[in-house]
Amino acid sequence: MISFHLNGQRVDADVPPDMPLLWVVRDHFKLKGSKFGCGMGLCGACSMLVDGQSTRTCILPVAAVANRAVTTIEGLADAEQLTTLQQAWIAHSVPQCGYCQSGQLISATALLNSNPAPSDSDIDTAMQGNLCRCGTYPRIKQAIKDAAGQTTKASTTAAQSAAVQTFDPRHAEAKA
Amino acid sequence: MSQHTSQSRRLFLKQLGIVGGGLIVGVPLTACATTPATDAASNATLQPNAFIHLSPHGDVNFYLPRSEMGQGTYTGLTTLIGEELDIDPASIRVHHATADSAFNNPEYDQQITGGSTSMKGSYLPLRQAAAEARALLLLAAAQQLGVPREQLRTDNGHVLHGEQKTPYAALVAVAAELETPKDVALKEPSAFKYIGQQRPRLDGRAKSTGSAEFGLDIDFAGLQRAVLVRCPVAGGKVKGVDDSAARSMTGVTHVVTIHNGVAIVAEHYYQAKLAAAKLVIDWQLPEKLSQFSSAEGQAQFAQALEAEQSHEAFTQGDGSKALSNANRVLRADYWAPYLAHATMEPMNCTVKIADGAMDVWVGSQSPGLAQGLAAFYSGISKDNIRIHSTFLGGGFGRRTASDYVGEAVAIAKASGVPVQLIWSREDDTRHDLYRPAAMARFAIGLTDDGHIDSWQVRRTGPNIMAYTVDEALDAMAPGFLPNGMVDWMSKAGHSLYDGWSLDHSSVEGLYEDYDASHKAVEHVTVDPGLPCGFWRSVGHSFSGFFKESMMDEVAAATAQDPVAFRLQHLSGNPRLANALKVAVEKAGWPNAASGERRLGVAAHNSFASSVAQVAEVSLENGAIRVHKVTCVVDCGRVVNPDIVKAQMESGIIFGLSAALFGEITLKEGAVQQSNFHDYPLLRMPQTPTIDVHIIDSNEPPTGVGEPGTPPIAAAVANALFALTGQRLRSLPLKLAS
Repeated sequence: MISFHLNGQRVDADVPPDMPLLWVVRDHFKLKGSKFGCGMGLCGACSMLVDGQSTRTCILPVAAVANRAVTTIEGLADAEQLTTLQQAWIAHSVPQCGYCQSGQLISATALLNSNPAPSDSDIDTAMQGNLCRCGTYPRIKQAIKDAAGQTTKASTTAAQSAAVQTFDPRHAEAKA
Repeated sequence: MSQHTSQSRRLFLKQLGIVGGGLIVGVPLTACATTPATDAASNATLQPNAFIHLSPHGDVNFYLPRSEMGQGTYTGLTTLIGEELDIDPASIRVHHATADSAFNNPEYDQQITGGSTSMKGSYLPLRQAAAEARALLLLAAAQQLGVPREQLRTDNGHVLHGEQKTPYAALVAVAAELETPKDVALKEPSAFKYIGQQRPRLDGRAKSTGSAEFGLDIDFAGLQRAVLVRCPVAGGKVKGVDDSAARSMTGVTHVVTIHNGVAIVAEHYYQAKLAAAKLVIDWQLPEKLSQFSSAEGQAQFAQALEAEQSHEAFTQGDGSKALSNANRVLRADYWAPYLAHATMEPMNCTVKIADGAMDVWVGSQSPGLAQGLAAFYSGISKDNIRIHSTFLGGGFGRRTASDYVGEAVAIAKASGVPVQLIWSREDDTRHDLYRPAAMARFAIGLTDDGHIDSWQVRRTGPNIMAYTVDEALDAMAPGFLPNGMVDWMSKAGHSLYDGWSLDHSSVEGLYEDYDASHKAVEHVTVDPGLPCGFWRSVGHSFSGFFKESMMDEVAAATAQDPVAFRLQHLSGNPRLANALKVAVEKAGWPNAASGERRLGVAAHNSFASSVAQVAEVSLENGAIRVHKVTCVVDCGRVVNPDIVKAQMESGIIFGLSAALFGEITLKEGAVQQSNFHDYPLLRMPQTPTIDVHIIDSNEPPTGVGEPGTPPIAAAVANALFALTGQRLRSLPLKLAS
């Protein structure tokens, strides 16, 4: 039995300890937003936040997240209130086939949490682990910049505005 | 009830999964006048055709006949419905259509999404379907309100009579009893509310929240996962298998041998994958392919350039004889390797067989062929096979084939349990239907003033159609033919294409665009036996590079400006000429880049659209760096400019992966690449700025999913020539150090 926090809730999984976290989340907890792409940590489609870091979960045994906080694409929005990044994604029509976009949004979320005003090269560095075969990179970059602009603006005016909570607050609680 | 309506009804029920196999019918059949119904008025639904279904509760449903794989058809085709039905497309509920001939692509008479035809082929028929539905609602309103039809108009889901607004839903019961009007006039473009507007994608929210459902996301109680071990050399057969070690692995429930390999069925994918590595299989290797290695095999393509026999693919004027009259002849040979599709979602298919019927969940570009192949591998008739379509995690032509559907069906049948077959990335890279490798030799005859007089080109390589015919025959052959005979017909089909019928996709794009009095296009088939398939832009994926590099080469050899030289030879092709003129203007040709950065240009027609691109390129520590691409597209009338722009960006980035890295190589018939470390794709830091411009046009819409890809490799190669003086005639582009 392995216990961890999944999207803010404490969960127990009676699964083999070597089962990759991706498949535990998809097949055991039935959250299908995180995707299988390469099985080698090369494409980023399986990315989840583990203690706030964008992490490749297709190669991460579930035992490695015992008592840690895991956030998936399903855990980013607060009910119907999408994060600033998700709103920017929709406004820029970022997704094409959409298969990689959960992983892209997880990596972008981790970036803005640690660096609220990233430069182009910061974005390149943070996002280079996430492949997109449809070539949505120019729009991903623009959406991150737009969301960051809003985040920066908002955080100077209201430190804890709901709209700027691209970082899952429940996850922060879970870690504490 | 008219025959047309009953067909729509049958289809609607089928959409809900209610066909054959003795399934319980749990939906009221109230729209059918002959069905006894206690509360017909409140339950009446309206299905004027296969595509549109209105409920009395306000739902406007659209059954999307094409597959959404990123190209934007979900949004584009829904926009057509919204326009003529006069309702905001964002309020329409979109469903992926099941397999049914009612959803055939008019361009192919098959239910296929490909060839950049979705908008081109649907622009009039879907608008017509929606316009008829709207006319029907107006008739119903006239009857229900007791006013002349002429006094009514519509606006966003309502019929308006003066100040009175009646929602469409309130008209459904009356409309369901009326005949659908035919030959209804379509809106004039000046009246368009939604077509031509830049609006966000309708699938954007689902794809930004993880809720969009792909084939791999299908799950239900009792579903097992399967991994299939195929012969490393395509076409190999299982001679013998030792599965004792595999069977003892955790989670494994079945090990079954099917037509092309041995499958492990387990509770979880990762367990099946681990067990698959324990199988010891003795393979019967295919003789021809197992003797082919890329390192030496390329010589076969080169030898065929010299062959005496060839197919005459196209001849104009005096053909190749005209070369002898030329003042000067320029010759060059070009090469493009095999390529994999590498969709982000690996191939997968979910199958459940019960009570003589079968459910198949699959993201497919050809659900009808998938259904046919499912019938072939199961023995279950097509009438009892339900295809449940999902979003596709990338297609690019790969998902027109149904090989993975046949595998999943065979495994489900052999194991007796519902299975989801999941290809690993390694499977996906090594068992693709590849973009065929190709070689071409140009001989361009010039007049004494440097004009092209004759254009001769010979292409050597495999033909895609040989492999497509194999599968299509399996899928479409009548059920009464034994499979052995179908196999024989498939092989006959293969030799048919390789023997005496020309596959046009092998030569498309090599010769059409530029003026020349004399043209000769020849083809010589060289096929090592690696399966080939449609890869974004098909033949244009190599011919765009070959032809546009050759044009640059001729311009350079005759000291002419590459843009002016092209324009001189585009009098028969004004649309491409205009795209080129606009592209160079927008890119600031020729002065926008100098010194360490240079521009390269390319222009190419494909899928009835014209695209011109200018690439700005430099070298960084000896590596090719593409900074910016300016792209101009003429695709006729634009339904959603933002999606056209996105498809140009997508096509360019897809083409850059091929131009800079893409290469599948074989060793003794086995594909050597396996995953993204040895078959790399462009990543964000390598991605140029892309500036797209769309030519304003009132012509009918043409393709956008593919035409962005063909010119980019040549635009980059031509910039590299300007920068280094090296003419790179092979893909991927590699500078001599």
